[in-house]
Amino acid sequence: MYVLGISCYYHDASAALLKDGVVVAAAEEERFTRKKHDISFPANAIKYCLESQNISIDKVKYVGFYEKPLLKFERVMSQHLEMFPLSFKTFLSSTPSWINEKLRVMKKIRKTLKYKGDVLFIEHHLAHAASSFLVSPFKKAAILTVDGVGEWTTTAYGIGEGKDIHLMKEIKFPHSLGLLYSTITAYLGFTVNNAEYKVMGLSPYGNMNKKTNPYYGKLKKIIDIKEDGSYKFDMSYFVYHYKDRMPSKKLCNLLGGPIRTAESELTQRHKDISAALQSVYEEALLKMLNHVYKETRCENVVIAGGCGLNSVANGKILSNTQFKNIWIQPASGDGGTSIGVVSYIYHTILGCKRNYQLKDAYLGPGFSTKEIKKFLDKNKIGYSKFKNDKDIIKTTAKLVHENHVVGWFQGGMEWGPRALGSRSILANPCNPKAQDLLNAKVKHREKFRPFAPVVCEDDALKYFECDEPTPEPTDFMLMVYQ
Amino acid sequence: MSKLKDFFKGFKEGMHSFGSNVTAIINSSLLTIVYLIGVGLTSIFAKLFGKHFLDIKLAKKKNSYWSDLDLKKKPIDEYYRQF
Repeated sequence: MYVLGISCYYHDASAALLKDGVVVAAAEEERFTRKKHDISFPANAIKYCLESQNISIDKVKYVGFYEKPLLKFERVMSQHLEMFPLSFKTFLSSTPSWINEKLRVMKKIRKTLKYKGDVLFIEHHLAHAASSFLVSPFKKAAILTVDGVGEWTTTAYGIGEGKDIHLMKEIKFPHSLGLLYSTITAYLGFTVNNAEYKVMGLSPYGNMNKKTNPYYGKLKKIIDIKEDGSYKFDMSYFVYHYKDRMPSKKLCNLLGGPIRTAESELTQRHKDISAALQSVYEEALLKMLNHVYKETRCENVVIAGGCGLNSVANGKILSNTQFKNIWIQPASGDGGTSIGVVSYIYHTILGCKRNYQLKDAYLGPGFSTKEIKKFLDKNKIGYSKFKNDKDIIKTTAKLVHENHVVGWFQGGMEWGPRALGSRSILANPCNPKAQDLLNAKVKHREKFRPFAPVVCEDDALKYFECDEPTPEPTDFMLMVYQ
Repeated sequence: MSKLKDFFKGFKEGMHSFGSNVTAIINSSLLTIVYLIGVGLTSIFAKLFGKHFLDIKLAKKKNSYWSDLDLKKKPIDEYYRQF
């Protein structure tokens, strides 16, 4: 039995295909359209999923969608009603897309895919929870989902056991750790729903000492974090619930200046603000996880939602909570919910046994040597052919050792935002200039942006202060250690 | 021939742009009416009766901000609904 999962119209549109309980293909639409975080209906990703199994849409028993559109629309209308007349501009700009697209998902699926079968709608945070728990190695685990916002929920926790998931408690919009992170991302001059990872990457360059970083105290004024990790904002510091931007003037005054323009220089002040934000986020997350442990008494935890990509915070979880094991799926943001949808339909709704664990992220399209050769010949790109894997590895290792930069392309494309050795840029981690070289000349991006060193599991403890045994999410670049 | 082709191409693009502008103007006008009458009146009456649509007030005296969700498996029919 095939089940197709779809996520789209917010950010990171994606599709996933499940066959008899096994996720056989999954990809994000951005990889086909080359529009970063593409939100459009994932027609190309769906096409890839179906072609990978050589099937037509008629073979698909169920199509699942990653949220309940009408519930989400209710929340959007509630924002307009609460904030009238301040929400006028966003009402004018956002309503057409609701009328033309977001409320017509069913029609879009039927028309674009020519699909006549059943379409199921799964609550957004349930799709997140399923995307992590149902493909994890755990039979039983505590579940924490943290993202910007789904229908109403922004944070939820619960427990997964066997095929079932029970989300017990929630925090609702407009209070959202994900949106706090996005607000400061916007304040620092980066793009929302895109560059939150840049702020995370910038934070170690700031003052991480809570006592001496003045912005930590300032950010604590806008969020009230309880001992059980639940939180609420002073909404006068935000305008995202009624405007198309996020920080309010009051927040700009609190942080001592206007929103940074994208082209202006990043100062120590900006770095300190990002460090303070990361500290506040970690404080809330760890308190929340300690509370979830108390409530569930389960040693395993799975995390999902866009905040699950905060690998810096993830690296601190096992050493600061009583959880013994952790699992996070490689596409823990909205893109990953298509996997959650198919798994939830197959296992939880239909009651079929769990027989699959997501062990690697290579669920995207791959190309044969013949196809690659044809492409290179057609585009007149020079190449050398190696006799076997040993030769190519030896040559690559030599090039990397000589401080050359290598583009590495093999197997299926990665699922999720991280380059995990299938579509990666390789450089010498022993070269102190490697980061600057890659950022300036190869990727043409900010100087501070980090790269992840690859290290064999056996050697990890020799070079890094990491958890022992090394948790599986490290394979997906989802846990950062010093 | 190519000039004629260019003319029709330009004409088509112009008409398309004209259509988009007309649509935007009509949409904005209709949505303004909906916003002022539908959203506005509902909002005003709701506020008069103390009804709030978003929980935006801090309650520092509370011990916890967690609220009940109780989301678990439901009969399959529930998942056909978009709400």
